[in-house]
Amino acid sequence: MNIPRDFRFTSSHEWVRIRNNIATVGITDYAQNQLSDLTFIELPAVDDEVSASDEVAVVESVKAASDVYAPVSGRVVEINTRVVEQPDIVNRDPYGEGWLFKIEMSHPEEIDDLMDADQYEESLPEEE
Amino acid sequence: MTNGKIHGERPTAWAFVFGTPIRYALGVRFMEALHAFRVGDNIPDILLLMQHLPVVTLGRRARDQHLRIGAAELASRGIELQVACRGGDVTYHGPGQWVLYPIFRLGHATDVAHSYLWMLEEIAIRAAAEFGVAAFRRPGMSGAWTAAGKIAAIGFYIRRWVTMHGMSFNVSPDLSGFETIVPCGLVGERVASLATILGGRVPSMEAVGKSLLAHAGNVLRREMHLYGAPAEMPPDLGRIWLATANDSAGLPVRCTSAG
Repeated sequence: MNIPRDFRFTSSHEWVRIRNNIATVGITDYAQNQLSDLTFIELPAVDDEVSASDEVAVVESVKAASDVYAPVSGRVVEINTRVVEQPDIVNRDPYGEGWLFKIEMSHPEEIDDLMDADQYEESLPEEE
Repeated sequence: MTNGKIHGERPTAWAFVFGTPIRYALGVRFMEALHAFRVGDNIPDILLLMQHLPVVTLGRRARDQHLRIGAAELASRGIELQVACRGGDVTYHGPGQWVLYPIFRLGHATDVAHSYLWMLEEIAIRAAAEFGVAAFRRPGMSGAWTAAGKIAAIGFYIRRWVTMHGMSFNVSPDLSGFETIVPCGLVGERVASLATILGGRVPSMEAVGKSLLAHAGNVLRREMHLYGAPAEMPPDLGRIWLATANDSAGLPVRCTSAG
């Protein structure tokens, strides 16, 4: 399974890429695969204040719905409106074009609570 | 991926098998209570196997236009109308149909990497095969299908990476219940059951229930411990069942998720 080495991860299958004080967030390849072809995405609003592990977004496929959680606390500064219009981008490129939202971190030390790529990979089911 | 994980390790799951049909609102409220316990790691994975009293349920994206008759006429036929906080469109549940509600934490190293949707379909396909019915997947159409129509329908919800809702499997329900809706919003597709396919040779609900449980254990890779419900459930959960039944069975179901 595809896991970028320089990202951080949550146990609820979000990924985080940190640039300066901005955390870009998406769902992992494992998560998009579990939900199958996404048909609907609901994102937070820009300027929303969020706390780590808050429910902030919803992703749905034809048969499944799942919540997405904020990996870190802070203020939502940007959302990816393209994936709202074309949710399948998340299936095709979960770690790139399929990012969901960006958070300006209020507690950057929360990053230390997230998993690195090795830890996340170890936590996942083995492919058959 | 070879990362040295142990094959064959099976975590425990408790399977609660209900002997009599349950009102949808009660079943869902109980499922939601168990889900909260599972999220808090207070109980192992749970699989609920039950039948519902007649009900039409609308999923999160369901459209009213997929109802062929209104709530009042449904009521006059003894069918409730409820919303369901699951993926998927509109469906019917009633006696003679098993619903399988796994309350499972996904994404553990001990799990199978197949998608959860694939696994639910696989349980239905293997159970149907056990009774001589060839069921299969159709590209772009979830569920388990037979030459005579759809035999198993799927709609689930993953919250905190613990599953809710799941799958229904038609053994011998009154299929006229499905005629009140456009099942799953699929125009022109038929609904089948083991009874419509096998006629007089249809197996008992009990036999099909056992088959679904066995295949669920194998596909989801869990060691299933069976309890007759509600009587044999662990006492703490039995009390929650009773409180739920006394409290809220008549209330409508509400979606409590974000969105």
